[in-house]
Amino acid sequence: MKKSSFFASASALCLGLVLAVGVGSQANAAAKCVKGDRKAPYTIGWANIYSVPTWMKQTQGTIEAEVEALKKQGLVDKLVVTDAQGDANVQIQQIQSMIDSNVDAIILIAGSSTAPARVIADACAKGIAIINFDSLVDTDQVTAKVNTDSSQWGDQAAKFLIDAIGGKGKILILNGPAGVSVSDDRRKGADAELKAHPDVKILAETNTPYNVAPAQEAVTSLLFANPEIDGILSLGGALSAGAVLALDKQGRDQVPITGENARQFLELWKEKGLKSWATMQPNWLGAFATYTAVQALEGKDVPAFVKIPLPVIDNSNIDQYLARAKDFPADGYIYSPYDEELFKKLLAQK
Amino acid sequence: MSIIPSARADGALYWQVQARRNIGVRSLFLVVLAFLIAYAVLFPGLFTVSGFAKFTQSWFPLALVAMAQAILMLTGGISLAIGATVSLGAVIAATTMAGPLGVPGGAAAVALAGLGIGAATGFIVVRLRLPAIVVTLAGSFIIGGAALLVLPRPGGAVPAWLSDLLAGDTPAAFVLLMAIVLLWKLYLATPLGLSLYAAGENPVGAYRSGVPVDAARVAAYAISGLLSTGAGLFVAAQTGSGDPVIGNAFTLNSIAAAVLGGIGFLGGQGTMRGALAGSLLLSLMISVMFFLGFTPVAQYVAQGLIIIGAVAIPQFRKVQQ
Repeated sequence: MKKSSFFASASALCLGLVLAVGVGSQANAAAKCVKGDRKAPYTIGWANIYSVPTWMKQTQGTIEAEVEALKKQGLVDKLVVTDAQGDANVQIQQIQSMIDSNVDAIILIAGSSTAPARVIADACAKGIAIINFDSLVDTDQVTAKVNTDSSQWGDQAAKFLIDAIGGKGKILILNGPAGVSVSDDRRKGADAELKAHPDVKILAETNTPYNVAPAQEAVTSLLFANPEIDGILSLGGALSAGAVLALDKQGRDQVPITGENARQFLELWKEKGLKSWATMQPNWLGAFATYTAVQALEGKDVPAFVKIPLPVIDNSNIDQYLARAKDFPADGYIYSPYDEELFKKLLAQK
Repeated sequence: MSIIPSARADGALYWQVQARRNIGVRSLFLVVLAFLIAYAVLFPGLFTVSGFAKFTQSWFPLALVAMAQAILMLTGGISLAIGATVSLGAVIAATTMAGPLGVPGGAAAVALAGLGIGAATGFIVVRLRLPAIVVTLAGSFIIGGAALLVLPRPGGAVPAWLSDLLAGDTPAAFVLLMAIVLLWKLYLATPLGLSLYAAGENPVGAYRSGVPVDAARVAAYAISGLLSTGAGLFVAAQTGSGDPVIGNAFTLNSIAAAVLGGIGFLGGQGTMRGALAGSLLLSLMISVMFFLGFTPVAQYVAQGLIIIGAVAIPQFRKVQQ
C-alpha cells in the first residue's frame, strides 16, 4: 500500500515533469516576447505618438472597433491609450508606465526609429506582446512588425504613370517633406522604373508637407514655368488633390496622376474624370496590430514581419470606394474594407 | 520651512533668505507633493528600487534642461537652442562612444561641445549686446543642422554597459542629479556664482559695485550648454542610440519647467529648486494621468489646467495680501 502510493506519487511527479516540459516547449514555439503566463481577457496598451492628424484618428477608430469585437469574444477587457504629442521621450515614459501597470500587450507607432528600442526590450522581457506598425523601430525585441512597403508604393505608382502616358513624356514629381523616411522611401522606389524609361523627362520635383495648400501652391508655380506637362507622379494623396486643384484653377487640362486614398482626392478624381491610380497606408493596420497581439497572447505563432500588400484603387474600382465615402471624414482616408478573414490570411503568409 | 530664532546670527539669516525665496514656490511644492503621493498610491511599484530608478530616469533629462534654462533666465537671458543642443549631445555620444574614443573620450567630446557652444552663444549675446532670443533662435538652426550632419538618420550606438549603468535598474540617474544639485550649491558660493543673481536683477548696479557681470553671464551660458549636452548624453544612454531630433521638445519644456518653478523672465527672480520642482511636476503629470486612465484629449486639457493652477495660486495669494 505504502509502496504503491509512493510509486503513484513518483509517477505523478514524472507526469508533472513531462507536462511541465511539454508546456515549456510549447511556450518556446509561441511568438516572441510571449511567455504564455498571461490569460484572457487581456489589457491592450496603444502607445500613439501623435493623435491629432486625421489619419491617426481614423487608425485609432479601427483599433477601438477591433477591441470592441474582441471584448465580445471575452479576449480583451480594456484598451489603454496614450498620446505622446509628438515627443519621443514622452512616448518612452508612457510605454514605461504601461509596463508598470502590467498591460498584456502594447501596440505602437514609434516616434523615433531608435529611441524606444530599450524600453521595448524591457517590455518584451516582461512577457508583454509588442506589435509595432506604421513607423517601425530598429529592434528585433518585438513580437511582430506590421507595415506596407513604401518603395513598392513608389515603384507601382511610377509603373502606372509611365504606362498611362505611353512610356514617354514630361512629368512632375510631387514628394512629401525631405528627410522623412516614408517620403524618401517612396521616391527611391520610383527610381528603377524612371531610369528604365529615358523618354520620360522629369521637369521638376517638389518637396512639401503632406497638405493640400502647399502642394497646390508649388504646382501652380510649376505650371507657369512649364506649358507642357504630360503626367504627374504624386507620392501622397493630399499632394495629388493640390495638383488637381492647381490645374483646374489655371484652366489647364487634367493629366494622368497618381495618388493616395485621401477622400478629397478620390472625389476630385471622379468629379474631373481623371485617369488615375492610388494606393494607401490602410488605417486598419491598427486593428490588425490589435488582432495580432491577441493571437500571439493566445499562444499562436505570428511572423516577425507582416508585410501588408498595397491595396490599389484605379478607374475600375473607384466607384466602390466612393460609395462608402459618407462613412469617412471629409479630410480623411477611405481605406479598403477589412475583416477577420483578411487578418487570418495576412498572418498565415510567410 | 521654519525659521529657528535661536540659531546663530549668520545661520538665521541664511534660513531667512532661503525661506523668503521659497514663498513663491511653496504652493508648487505642495502640488508636486500631492502628485507624488497620488503616483505612489496609484503605482506602489514606485517604492521598489527599479520602479524608483525608472521614474527618476524619465525625469532626469527634463531636470537637466530645466536647470540649463533656469540658470540663463536668472541672469536675464533665455535659450531657444536647448532642444537642439540636447540632440547634438545625443548624436555625439551615439557616434563617438562605440568608436575608438570610447566612453571617456565620447563624454569629453560631449562636454566640450556643450561648453563650447554655450560659451560661444554667451559671448555673442553678452559681448555683442545682441538679444538672447534672436541669437539662440539662430543658434538652434545651426546646432540642429550640426546634429543632422553628425547623424543624418537615427542610429549610432552607446555601449550597453553604459546604458545599463545610467538607465538600468539602479537609481544612478537620481544620484547623479543629487550630485549636480550639490555642485550647483557649491557654484553659488564661488565669486561667479554669487554674481549670477546680481547680474540678472540689476546688472548696472552690480557692475558699478565691481561684480563681474559679463563673466558671470558668459559662464552661465557655458554651464547651460554643458547641462544640455549632458542631458543629450543621458538620452542617448537611455535609448541606446542617437536621434538627431530627439531633443526638440525640450526647448519648450525647459521654459515651461522654469516658469512653472517661479523663475521670472526679467532675471534675478526665482530659485533652482523651483525649476527642479517644475520639471518634476511636468514629468509626474504624464505618469499620474496615465494611471488615472485619462484619455489623450482629457490629458491635453488637464495638463493646461494644472500648469495654470500651479502658476496662479501664488498670484492669488499676493492679490489677497
